[in-house]
Amino acid sequence: MRTYIIRRLLQMIPTLIGISIIVYAISAMIPGDYITALNNPNMTDERAEQLRAIYGLDQPQYLRYFTWAKSMLTGDMGDSFQHKKPVMEVVNEYIWNSFIIAFASLILSWIIAIFAGVFSAKFQYSLFDKLITLFVFICMSLPSFFLGLLLIRIFALSFGWLPVGGMTTAGTKAVGWEYIMDVLKHGVLPITVLTMLSTGSLTRYFRTSMLEVIRQDYIRTARAKGLKERTVIFKHALRNAMIPAITLLGFELPALFGGAIITEKIFVWPGIGHVYLNAINMRDYPFMLGFTILLAVLTLIGNLLADVLYGLADPRIRLK
Amino acid sequence: MRKKWWGFIILTLSFALMLGACSGGNNSAMPPTTNSGENANTPTESGETSPESDTEATEGFIEAADMSLNPLAAANRTDTVIIGTTDPKGVFNPLFMETSYDYYINYAIFDSFIEVQADGTYTNSLAEKVDISEDGLKYTYHLKPGVTFSDGTPMTVKDYYFTLKLYMDASYDGQSDPLSWHIVGANEYNEGKSSEISGVKIIDDHTVEISLTEYTALTPVELGNMYVLPEHYYGKEYKQGNLDGVKKLNNKPLGSGQYKLVSYSPGQEVVLESNESYFRGTPNVKNVIFRTTSETTSMPMLQQGETDMQDGMSVTEDNVEALKAMGFVDISLLPNNGYGYIAFNHKLPKFSDVKVRQALVYGLNRKEIVQGVYGPYGNVINIPQSNVSWAYTDENIEPYEFDLEKAGQLLDEAGWTLNSKGLREKDGEVFKINFSATADNPVVDALLPIMTQNYKELGIEIVAETLDFNAVMDKSNTGEYEMYFAAWGLTPDPDNTVYITNGSQNDYGYSNPKVDELMDKGKKTLDIEERKAIYKEMYQELNKDVPVILMYQRKNMVAVNGRLDGFDISPYKDFPFSLYQVKIAQ
Amino acid sequence: MATEVTTMTRQTVSSATVSESPWRIAIRRFSRNKLALGGLIILIIMFLICFIGPFFSPYNLYDYSLVSKNKPPSAAHWLGTDKLGRDILLRVMLAGRISLLVGVVATAITVIIGGTLGAIAGFYRKQVDSVIMRITDIFMSLPSLPILIILGAVMSDLKVPPPTRIYYLMFIIGLLSWTSLARLVRGQILTLREQEFMLATEALGLKDRRKIFRHLLPNTVPIIIVAATLSVASAILYESSLSFLGLGVIPPTPSWGNLIADANNLIDFRKRPWLWIPPGVCILVTTVAINLIGDGLRDALDPKMKR
Repeated sequence: MRTYIIRRLLQMIPTLIGISIIVYAISAMIPGDYITALNNPNMTDERAEQLRAIYGLDQPQYLRYFTWAKSMLTGDMGDSFQHKKPVMEVVNEYIWNSFIIAFASLILSWIIAIFAGVFSAKFQYSLFDKLITLFVFICMSLPSFFLGLLLIRIFALSFGWLPVGGMTTAGTKAVGWEYIMDVLKHGVLPITVLTMLSTGSLTRYFRTSMLEVIRQDYIRTARAKGLKERTVIFKHALRNAMIPAITLLGFELPALFGGAIITEKIFVWPGIGHVYLNAINMRDYPFMLGFTILLAVLTLIGNLLADVLYGLADPRIRLK
Repeated sequence: MRKKWWGFIILTLSFALMLGACSGGNNSAMPPTTNSGENANTPTESGETSPESDTEATEGFIEAADMSLNPLAAANRTDTVIIGTTDPKGVFNPLFMETSYDYYINYAIFDSFIEVQADGTYTNSLAEKVDISEDGLKYTYHLKPGVTFSDGTPMTVKDYYFTLKLYMDASYDGQSDPLSWHIVGANEYNEGKSSEISGVKIIDDHTVEISLTEYTALTPVELGNMYVLPEHYYGKEYKQGNLDGVKKLNNKPLGSGQYKLVSYSPGQEVVLESNESYFRGTPNVKNVIFRTTSETTSMPMLQQGETDMQDGMSVTEDNVEALKAMGFVDISLLPNNGYGYIAFNHKLPKFSDVKVRQALVYGLNRKEIVQGVYGPYGNVINIPQSNVSWAYTDENIEPYEFDLEKAGQLLDEAGWTLNSKGLREKDGEVFKINFSATADNPVVDALLPIMTQNYKELGIEIVAETLDFNAVMDKSNTGEYEMYFAAWGLTPDPDNTVYITNGSQNDYGYSNPKVDELMDKGKKTLDIEERKAIYKEMYQELNKDVPVILMYQRKNMVAVNGRLDGFDISPYKDFPFSLYQVKIAQ
Repeated sequence: MATEVTTMTRQTVSSATVSESPWRIAIRRFSRNKLALGGLIILIIMFLICFIGPFFSPYNLYDYSLVSKNKPPSAAHWLGTDKLGRDILLRVMLAGRISLLVGVVATAITVIIGGTLGAIAGFYRKQVDSVIMRITDIFMSLPSLPILIILGAVMSDLKVPPPTRIYYLMFIIGLLSWTSLARLVRGQILTLREQEFMLATEALGLKDRRKIFRHLLPNTVPIIIVAATLSVASAILYESSLSFLGLGVIPPTPSWGNLIADANNLIDFRKRPWLWIPPGVCILVTTVAINLIGDGLRDALDPKMKR
């Protein structure tokens, strides 16, 4: 196993180099640059040229790639054009806000999905199963901004229980526990939306896996041995139904840090998602590239973790 | 399949782009530049240009009807004003700011010698007096006595000189073009050949003299509307040729303005506190918070009293109606300082004929398009200038009312005759237009069906595509297009390079010697009455020659909780300038 | 833990030896499944309405009428009108042409590429797995938004006729979304190939292709079907977001996702439900129908189901 992990880590190097080249090429091919994106009606051609020279946008692409790759290796992602400060600083300002809601919804949605999936499978075609299925599809058929609007309408406007948006009360000076409660109150709606979005598909996966496993002979054997139904389902069946779950869990790692743009935007949650979107729209290359690479690394690690977990879940799998 | 993070990213473009729909997906704002001193102008909030509305006022000020409806959350906030805006980028330094939302914060924190007034002209602010020499090449600024920065340090003209140096630095990468101000010795400083700017003479702590090599009508604003940064604070970190140290202080600004920065939480809020040593006296409201809102939440937040004011709410009949229904909100409807247009590529033979261009304007039902998008809150324009600008004219301006017959006639005259299939044809070429539009623009939604229908009746085929905003701009820069739709902002001064031959902003390949001549004359004239006459002639020429199809000028809306009084807002004067006058009614 | 796993015996080799081909059995079983048939019929009806319906409408795509904008359902406009006074019913039907195709084509590509690559990687392991999975990693790391912007610009430069660009888009959506399915299928196959029935196929000396496509892949059908169902709905919604990049449909041509997105403010949400309910219901019905078909397919392909 250890050699496997080491080999996989080594493989990451060429993969990352490949990703960096492709990602850089993409940014080079994308029409327009930061100067055109500014669309400043006062900008003269001469000033535009000066600015391109200052930003290094006038260099040949391959040179710019090497300059960029070299500083990336030293951990320097450069300065964001828009924010006029180091990319890492900007990332650090926003990413943890995204993490808070993404993590909360990850926990919630996995717990809910496991229970809903298991019961839905256990009582296949029951009313409960049908209701769950319908609910899941409704969540999937409406874009997230609609779920957001719906929740704002009900909980913030009609009942007035929760704030419409933001992460804290304006100008709050709260610290410690009070601050946590304030953030939590503001977080309820966005976390609910994210949970609704991801629980649906997870439930479908778990239900299907459970259905498969429940039909297996060894479950029948376990039941025949007179084991309690709860033990059979949660101990024997669930564990074997988790293989697809491991793959899905691997995808969660980049998702935790990637930001959920629409949801964050609707609830004015200060996450990284819309900063990244803005960077793309404004052709803020240092931020765009830096953050993309960061997510790429997380993706690779997430997939590696999933592969390692396969081996642990099913020792017969020989990943070499 | 689980929706992945990048799935969400794309989905949200709607929201992101919507905010900048008309300026085109970016937040750039224009530093105000206009002629100073003169006060010949039109009032901006009088509603004198009323378009096709029947009963309701579609411009101006609508006062809150019933303050008893004010939510408690707002009514109980006695020393704090919360303003909803799009989030600033955290560039709290006038040198480097790029988005309007950073401008807002900087307007409140910094001051300059002169400041903009509601009518778009300038008045003295930090300056006691401004002297301009006869030949227009020497400016003398007299600083008011007793001005201090918010840390108590007195301001002198040395701070002004220091700020000028920062602008002239080689590593300066902000939006201004300081070398075009033509200050004597600026280039030497920029190139590092000199450590001082020879054209700046400090006479005493309160008097500074600037010498120029050249002047234009914009010079008074370029020099006078420069925000003054304290040398004792920013100077510690500055070495000629390297502004990194100054940039590091972007999130800890220090100025002499109405307010000072208390805290900044990225993406959430900017908390300001009144500057007790402000030279006009301590502002009335102690705390001002700029809170980030989004298109969807701005209205409910105002309604719940979570914000007191919302900047840049989109003007739709629905929104105006909803705000009126709230009862406790004052609504200002102001003409937006910008316009939408359809560009021709003049390098194509079919568009180089003025008759064809005129026909395409007559043949397009612009009124219906504008009404379909903005209802009563937008009007068709026929010159590229705001109807509240001092340079605006409607004298001898052809309104180009929708007239298919006339359009057909003009096309016939231009040699584009109908063929057997009912299509226009000339020398074997069928009239077909490839049209590029920016994606996710509400105007495009209405423009495309109407335009396609209208031109089909004329016998012209429209092949439309929609593209990412930057992709359209890229096509525009490289000239690889036939026709596109876009919108942009106007500078307060009528001088620009949009319609002059080979102008920086002229991507259409348009050239008209008469326009060139008049624009040049306008730029070199200082007297506003003379300039008015020059620009009138220029706009009449543009109106006849149709360099682009001008579409509309729309309204902007600012919604303010009725408990606040004292804002002085106009298309030229953004709300933060008058923050210090604002009072909370008890 | 190991004890349970080793007792796991899945499909037996029976399917390889029975006389009737498993696919024919599947078809027979499927046609007996009422729910699944119902789903198929609903989907066919949706297709028919969307592709034939507009010919019976008194309106056409370019019609607009500002006097009758934002009107609720009436005799003239059964589902009301939008902000330009266009008939919602016609727009929902026209939108369906695009959305149904996008959903189905993108999903088909996802399933074909993701299923095949996942199965090959999981079956051969070692270098093959390494190479395929690293390619998957790279695809997963690519920022799709910039890629799509470039694609839009390239198609414009190549003067691809705008109305046909949506077809390229369907392929691109598929090409960008097969990765997670590939990883899911591979994960399943990694466990499946260690089971007894695979030893049996080994003993029988079956060809690799037969092992993969006849014995391993059918066992991953349930997971593929879930992924496919979910992907239809998300591809339909995804398309609408691409229109903002100028890559999706070009106005005035609608799609279901765009119709909903047009109503994305609280006022339309509350005051004009006819703007978003019809397209929302259409996406829902399509998803449910495809899910029913999927469940039917799974049961039909499952050798252990006795009917």
